[in-house]
Amino acid sequence: MKVTIKNWVGVATWRWVANDDNCGICRMPFDGCCPDCKLPGDDCPLVWGQCSHCFHMHCIVKWLQSQQVNQQCPMCRQEWKFNNK
Amino acid sequence: MAGLSPSERRLQKELMSLVKEPPPGVTVDSDVIERNLLQWLINMDGASGTLYEGENFQLQFKFSNKYPFDSPEVTFVGPNIPVHPHVYSNGHICLSILTDDWSPALSVQAVCLSIVSMLSSCKEKKRPPDNAFYVKTCNKNPKKTKWWYHDDSV
Repeated sequence: MKVTIKNWVGVATWRWVANDDNCGICRMPFDGCCPDCKLPGDDCPLVWGQCSHCFHMHCIVKWLQSQQVNQQCPMCRQEWKFNNK
Repeated sequence: MAGLSPSERRLQKELMSLVKEPPPGVTVDSDVIERNLLQWLINMDGASGTLYEGENFQLQFKFSNKYPFDSPEVTFVGPNIPVHPHVYSNGHICLSILTDDWSPALSVQAVCLSIVSMLSSCKEKKRPPDNAFYVKTCNKNPKKTKWWYHDDSV
């Protein structure tokens, strides 16, 4: 039997590769978005610190902006530095 | 969870996990809290084998709409305020995670656990040395107090 494919529809799934399921700040799943966003994905990305902890970018930025003196990781209290890997 | 603010959404999740896995001696009336997620009343039993065994306390948590970026306002309320070197007779608690050392990764559960542990490590029931002066002069909101954290022993 010879089959001719006339067309096909590709379906893909994606997920963030993080070391946890939920953001430690908003407690929403990493595969969802932060509470200020509507859609997960590149518009609500994850970021990592050099301490290896990971958060929604919007959540950690909001936290750092609220801190006048020390910019610390909410999880381990080490100085927060973005890990630009 | 439609219609809830980001703070309320997080508090709703915290309430569910506190009901499911409460720290020892901690109970909440989730029906009451669900009517106003920004103010919680928590019942806390003194741990057995400690100076507070057999006593019951009530903790009040008030949250702003900046929670968890802003720490909750936590005080003991009701007829029985624990007699402890870090608890003033008006219910205010001197505990660094409630102000300077707050982190948005902390939670109601973590705060309750810290308070249970603070009470449990107490060796002698007494009020803070400056209790009389503090309760006369302080703001109603303990977060307005410039706390001076110097005693890590209890």
